[in-house]
Amino acid sequence: MAAVIEAVPSPTLRAKDYKSEVSPVWCPGCGHFAVLSAVTKALAYLKLPKEDVAVISGIGCSSRLPAYIEGYGFHGVHGRALAVASGLKAARPELTVLVAGGDGDGFSIGGNHFLHACRRNMDMTYIVMDNEVYGMTKGQASPTTQPDWERSKLTPHGTGIRRFQPPAIALAAGASFIARGFAGDPNGLTKLIVDAIRHPGFAFVHVLSPCPTFRPEHREWKHQVHLCRFGPTDNPAQAAQLMQEDDGMALGVLYAQRLPIWQPANHATASPADFDQEFRI
Amino acid sequence: MSVAPAPTIESVPEFLVHALELEHESAERYRLLAETMAVHHNVEVADLFRRMADMSDAHASEVIARAEGLLLPEIAPWDFKWSCPGSPEVSCLDEEDVSYLMTPHQALLLALHNEIRGRDFYAHVASSSPSVKVRAIAGEMAEEEGEHVDLLKDWIAEQGPADEAPTDLDPPNMPE
Repeated sequence: MAAVIEAVPSPTLRAKDYKSEVSPVWCPGCGHFAVLSAVTKALAYLKLPKEDVAVISGIGCSSRLPAYIEGYGFHGVHGRALAVASGLKAARPELTVLVAGGDGDGFSIGGNHFLHACRRNMDMTYIVMDNEVYGMTKGQASPTTQPDWERSKLTPHGTGIRRFQPPAIALAAGASFIARGFAGDPNGLTKLIVDAIRHPGFAFVHVLSPCPTFRPEHREWKHQVHLCRFGPTDNPAQAAQLMQEDDGMALGVLYAQRLPIWQPANHATASPADFDQEFRI
Repeated sequence: MSVAPAPTIESVPEFLVHALELEHESAERYRLLAETMAVHHNVEVADLFRRMADMSDAHASEVIARAEGLLLPEIAPWDFKWSCPGSPEVSCLDEEDVSYLMTPHQALLLALHNEIRGRDFYAHVASSSPSVKVRAIAGEMAEEEGEHVDLLKDWIAEQGPADEAPTDLDPPNMPE
């Protein structure tokens, strides 16, 4: 007979209770600290039990996030965070799955996974900390870097390539929730993450997260960001037009729409013993 | 981002929740800074931030004592009545002023900036709340924060003139 486990209401947790014992190795002043704070505040606000949360990441400075959160986590393969997270959500639909990464991980090597995660619309939240640079490898241009950024030795005359437009591409690919936050507004970002987690479907949160080391010019962001002049719309045509006019600094929920969620039927087709049999020589 | 004037705080429980959040966030931010400085082997500044975190913790304990027997409301992080995007002692400061090479003098200046903002928040509530009780408690707490400010000014004076930041032997933009 299976053991009966009584449901015990979890004690109220504060944001700091969701922080792990691991000390962040980010540069002091990095915007990712504020994202960590916003994620933990959102989890505390939603009163999510730690064991029901999984944070999945790829590779890069921002992808260190799972190590700093008290919960399940997986620091995965470069660009494959969404693939791993999709597998997890397929197998364990009851979990709250957060996916974290940066602009290089998510929009370059992981760009294809990004497109298909948007259109698949599984119920998970993707937080991209966009600092417009590959920071961990010492400052190369990423897909969201301005074409005339000349500070990398690899691209001394800039890349000359137009920037990736994450919200517009997410919309075109079929994402059902698109928001932009700013690390300099951690409480506003907390609200966006709460809304994203609550949203049924794939929620994409594009976070402007300054890199003080390789992009010191980001200190101007706090003077450039502004609230989105349009409220959240559920009309994709309207959202598309507005995103084309977007200066990249508009904050808030840009688009939210209820769309069918893709979640495979969860029938077990094999047992661990079957796998064991497969590998037996 | 624009900084709007803070809305008024109207009741003692509402005020104490704000005070508790301010002190907790302050302690957590200082502790995180201390951890980060320790990671970067800036031991002296790490110790200093730890001391600041302990001071904020002590202040939080005082707020908890004041709140005994009261039912405190739950306020969403984005609904706090701050005048800037986050709580006064951790926000509205230039994050770029924080560096792993920062000197104790710079760290003390940062802490002074934060403590002044904390004191000003309490002073603002003490002068703007419609509740006499809130004004009285906030006034006391503004005085206590003022003592922190004075203490920090003393520490800065003891430090003497600003010391030069050490040279970065591994600068970020090394040729690939």
